[in-house]
Amino acid sequence: MHQITKITGYVAIILVVLSFNFFLPRVMPGDPLSFLTGDPGMDMPIVLDEEMRAELLAYYGLDKPLLQQFYDYMLNLLHGNLGWSIYFNAPVSSILIGRLKWTLLLVGTATAIYMVLGIMLGTISAWKRGGKRDVGLLTFILSISSLPSFFLGMLFIILFGIKLELFPIFGAQTPFMRYSTPFEATADIFRHLLLPATTLVIAHIGGVYLLMRNSMLNVVGEDYILTARAKGLAEWYILRKHAMKNALLPITTMIALRVGFMISGTIFVETVFAYPGVGILLYDAVTYRDYPLLQGAFLIITLVIIAANFVADIIYVRLDPRVKHE
Amino acid sequence: MSTKEDLNRFWNAYKERRLGLIGLGIVLFFVTLAIFAPYIAPYDPHEMYKPVEHPNSDHLLGTNDIGQDILSELIYGSRVSLFIAFFVSVVSAILGTSLGLLSGYFERIGFFLMRIVDAFLAIPRLPLIIVIAAFMPPSIWNLIFIFVLLGWPITTRIIRSEVLSLKNRPYVDAARMLGARDFYILGRHILPNVVPLIIVRLIMEAGYVVLAESGLSFLGLGDPTAKSWGMILHYSFEYPTIFISDLWMWWMLPAGLCITFTILSLTFIGYALEELVNPRLKVVEL
Repeated sequence: MHQITKITGYVAIILVVLSFNFFLPRVMPGDPLSFLTGDPGMDMPIVLDEEMRAELLAYYGLDKPLLQQFYDYMLNLLHGNLGWSIYFNAPVSSILIGRLKWTLLLVGTATAIYMVLGIMLGTISAWKRGGKRDVGLLTFILSISSLPSFFLGMLFIILFGIKLELFPIFGAQTPFMRYSTPFEATADIFRHLLLPATTLVIAHIGGVYLLMRNSMLNVVGEDYILTARAKGLAEWYILRKHAMKNALLPITTMIALRVGFMISGTIFVETVFAYPGVGILLYDAVTYRDYPLLQGAFLIITLVIIAANFVADIIYVRLDPRVKHE
Repeated sequence: MSTKEDLNRFWNAYKERRLGLIGLGIVLFFVTLAIFAPYIAPYDPHEMYKPVEHPNSDHLLGTNDIGQDILSELIYGSRVSLFIAFFVSVVSAILGTSLGLLSGYFERIGFFLMRIVDAFLAIPRLPLIIVIAAFMPPSIWNLIFIFVLLGWPITTRIIRSEVLSLKNRPYVDAARMLGARDFYILGRHILPNVVPLIIVRLIMEAGYVVLAESGLSFLGLGDPTAKSWGMILHYSFEYPTIFISDLWMWWMLPAGLCITFTILSLTFIGYALEELVNPRLKVVEL
């Protein structure tokens, strides 16, 4: 029963997002035609005579009743047709598919790193709460989390890319490079990945750290920790076997939920590092007023996030059997 | 117990939080800059002089690509960022709290409103802001509208869950038994108990808005006529030789630091308040 309501919820959210995408260009001030054709209608109006206008309206199906338009839109989506990108002069769907792997690589790498780091540091902090190490870590992590990712990215480019010349400053691969071995290719991709991934890690570690710290603070006060201490078990053993295991439970759902924030965060990071993922497409689309591309990228990002939330739900039920019986 | 007494006690507890005091100090610094900008700034930030000048005695931080004094831009920039953050966080707090109180107290309204909140919270906020902003003509008021539109649901959800636990407390039952009306109970007995939560949320939201506004401006979706810190970063980032020359040191770096320190101060204040409000987190003196 619980599962069914959950799934209905997800279907409803997807419908909301699709309707939002459909209605947005149609309710906003300005000509929906200019949004769909991607010409910057508001800045540089292109004068169309009545006949051309009618022809274009018919081409995009904008002369049909709204309900019919919505039906056609849904049908197109089911066929994987997301419209035509003016800037890239290519179908939006094929651009997105080409870009998604880079975003997933970036987000996946960063998530793995900041989860492990955040959980470790949060545990250390909570174990001796209020101590020098705790206060120091807390202040440090709250401070670095305040750096906006676009600013931090620019600092990294200047420091590690230009002053020290340690890492490439843009792209995901060296252009026109021919790799002699697959190892060389991996190394090149890794070198390009390091700075943007580090930026993401710093931007997002605060959330996990604070959550793990709070979660541990809760667990540390529990009776079973006192019992374990009374039994004379080693601190390290209690920490790992008794405290962390329980404190990690609320973290697991956060992992998948955080993937959503991360994907949003890549918009800035990819833009600064010119990393060819889905996020930078939003920037390109905004810069060139490429509305079909903008909406396509938004749709993909949202769907990935909803999928991540769905996975979070499933994992949580598996990890904590108490949820199932509720 | 009077309100003044409450405030005094609160301030005495807050004073002990070092992070909170640092945060408060930084915020007050920027607020002073924003209020007295015309008296502090050496030039009108829109006035144009010789472009791309290095720092000198006339222009302490040089000039930008169209010759505007960067220091004056920064000082006036505090107005834009702080005004938007203040306005949005206050309006979304009022809206979010009222809806949260209603939906916690009246089950039917709650059920209906929570479905809307669910929909809002399931869609990632930042991409949504970007998409809506891209479809609207860029202006400060449009930005404010978008931020408020997407800001209230979180507050509503937090306040609602608190109201749900408060409304069955004995003192609320007692008030009801004595014939108090629903809105009297909400305003007199429940609202005062959620005020600390609202303040924490408000501070957190202000920090988010500073970040999101500067991010949006950085992407080129800000108000082009407003001098915000994000806008300065946007133009400096688009300048062809920003990274390979020394320009970044006085053009990009100060603007980025202003944004960082504003967010930092709000984060510190938010954390200090949360420790006070949420006894579970209270630091035990060791």
